[in-house]
Amino acid sequence: MEIASLIPAPDALPVHWLWLQLLLTLTTFLHLVAMNLMLGSGIIALVTPYRLDGEIVALRRDIARTLPFTIALTINLGVAPLLFIQVLFGQFFYTSSVLMASLWLTLVGLLIVGYYAAYMFTMRYKALGKSQLWLGIAVLFLALVGFIFTNNLSLMQQPASWSAWFANRSGWLINLSDTALLPRYLHFLTSAVAIGGLGVAFYYEMRKRRGDNSGEKWRRRGCNWFSYANIVNFPIGFWFLGFIPASAYDGSTWSGRLFILLLAATFIGIAKAIIAAQRCFVIPTTCWALATIFFMTLARDLLRFDYLRDYFSPAALPVQAQYSPLLLFLLLAAVMGWLIVWLLKAAGRTEVNR
Amino acid sequence: MNYPFWPLEFAGGGLLIATIAIVHVYLAHFAIGGGLFLVITEIKGRRENNPAILDYVKLHARFFLLLTVVLGGLTGVGIWFTISVLNPAATSTLIHLFLFAWASEWLCFLGEIISIFIYYYAFDRLSPRDHLLVGWLYFAFAWLSLFFINGIIDFMLTPGDWLTTGSFWAAFFNPTFWPALFFRTFLALITTGLFGFVTAASLKDGKLRLNLLRYCALWLLLPFALFVASACWYRQVLPAGLTELIFQRMPEARDYFESFLIFSALLLPGGIGMAIHQPARISRVLAGIMLAVGLLNLGAFEFLRESGRRPFVIPGYMYANAIRPTDLERTTSIGVLRTARWVNFREITPADEKRSGREVYNLLCLACHSLGGPLNAIQDRLAGHTAEQVEQIIFEMGNLRPYMPPFAGNSQEREALLAYLGTLK
Repeated sequence: MEIASLIPAPDALPVHWLWLQLLLTLTTFLHLVAMNLMLGSGIIALVTPYRLDGEIVALRRDIARTLPFTIALTINLGVAPLLFIQVLFGQFFYTSSVLMASLWLTLVGLLIVGYYAAYMFTMRYKALGKSQLWLGIAVLFLALVGFIFTNNLSLMQQPASWSAWFANRSGWLINLSDTALLPRYLHFLTSAVAIGGLGVAFYYEMRKRRGDNSGEKWRRRGCNWFSYANIVNFPIGFWFLGFIPASAYDGSTWSGRLFILLLAATFIGIAKAIIAAQRCFVIPTTCWALATIFFMTLARDLLRFDYLRDYFSPAALPVQAQYSPLLLFLLLAAVMGWLIVWLLKAAGRTEVNR
Repeated sequence: MNYPFWPLEFAGGGLLIATIAIVHVYLAHFAIGGGLFLVITEIKGRRENNPAILDYVKLHARFFLLLTVVLGGLTGVGIWFTISVLNPAATSTLIHLFLFAWASEWLCFLGEIISIFIYYYAFDRLSPRDHLLVGWLYFAFAWLSLFFINGIIDFMLTPGDWLTTGSFWAAFFNPTFWPALFFRTFLALITTGLFGFVTAASLKDGKLRLNLLRYCALWLLLPFALFVASACWYRQVLPAGLTELIFQRMPEARDYFESFLIFSALLLPGGIGMAIHQPARISRVLAGIMLAVGLLNLGAFEFLRESGRRPFVIPGYMYANAIRPTDLERTTSIGVLRTARWVNFREITPADEKRSGREVYNLLCLACHSLGGPLNAIQDRLAGHTAEQVEQIIFEMGNLRPYMPPFAGNSQEREALLAYLGTLK
């Protein structure tokens, strides 16, 4: 069977594809930061004891307070890249979603249960005591959601795997033919622990700057979580790299050279971040870590183009340009940004409301 | 014919999407009207200098947050996921056409999340002015979400000039955009009263409970006349052909319409009943019943609206089975099995006739007819019909049966489909 004949005809883009790629990259970056923070802090809370030396551990309690918000933010920030990917790569993404439709819709159920479990953990924190049930459910289900996403993106960028549908239409396809599937997932899972640790350090750093030194121990531990998880992630990252197509880092092509450059920037960024974290310089660590995530997002986008190189060229997509809706969106984004800044500033003010 | 299909048998015929969509739409209306309810009730509590009312607002805000952000938000995502696997071609058309309307709605969703979290979690920390401003902002974001989504939903009923111009703005501000926007805004206020009953009925203080139940009844009763007026306006702007199809030629649509009228009418005496003094337990039971009536009312309306689209998913552009009218000439001459990308059988042989017929069924019928499920099961439609009568129905599709798309296969495929349908009796 000729694989290319299975690929659906794409719909026309409403604007030049570079706009869509730009928005996809930016929103994916934001989503990845939020997702890492959410899942990583959840995992850290799960392995942190309820009491230590006779006292209730503040770290676990503080993560419990923030978890509903980080979950909501992660879901919201996941909507935008999902939207842009469906426009730019719709013919691949819809197909892979149908191939794993049962699994794909299970994701929604997992998110609902995981989210409510996080609320149970938060709202009944004291009553639950040492019980890990609700937090365990939340973390497990959110981690499973990550796997389902990884599987969809893997299926999407490997049309050669699609022929499995002809023997199995149940919608439960897992792309086991992709040798990079497992290391890719583990790489993101370990990154989540690292960024979760950094989030912990950042939270207590902010409190310290406001004069509250009670979380100093957790600030340091957060930095350690970040460093050690990243060190563990190095071999996993090489494992992942070992299974991506060689053409992705072919130095004779411009995209291969760019990919190598981005990988180098990633290595430098993460090394700088680890060094800063070891000294517990939280702000520089955060800056380097964010830069690294951004480079990795770009590398990931480039890798997707490489996977699809035999079937896809964004410049060849049909375009029926209508730019006025884009302008409306950009204008609304500016207004919304201003309002969100006001909201966050307002939330920081402490007065009495009664 | 572009995409693979997911052979959803029992839950097909729209059951899966209807279940998720009705729950989501109900909660989404609550999310819009509920924002206004929170700020107006907070103003009431402050003007009356009544801390008990402010406590109620906080209690209601928590209920609101847990229901709308988690279940409401995620069923919204669920609708998107579901339509993308049930009809990827139509979803792709909608996403490409309305990309920046969806993206703008996403921004509003972001604003909603941030503001409602601050509204609830900083309830006792912010100054009254700032707190109310946060509440107003939440309501503005939520209503703007409706504004954007309304354009897309109603495009799917009345695409208007888009069919000839291809313009985003013609598609967005389609013929039913404004009446539907008003209709849904008033429905959101009514829905808010229904959800308000649930939290108000849970209060222990009898005097406060009665006071707030009466207050919630006003949210249901005051917009009712405007809700009815906007419903009439909505019906009036429907194209003549669509009105005839919904109200005269489609038997199920009549059932949905009558159900909508009955449940809408029940809301009035129900709202008045809630305002009458009664024991707490009775109030709680009645609040639950009213909530169910509201859900059934909305469900009947959404089924009615969906019926109006038949046989299309996007009227005039794409049939419910993802075949486009412009493709018909090709599929009926070459055959749908040879046109589709994702099929196991391209040639029909006597040995494979029934299995090929099943494939034709998957491509052309499964989008609307489940296999043995509770919604629009093909077995129910076939019951009592001879093979000749079934063949006659296939010939009548798209003409004497205008709510069904024309049969898009060739004669050999029709025979194969009939052979497969014969196995279902």
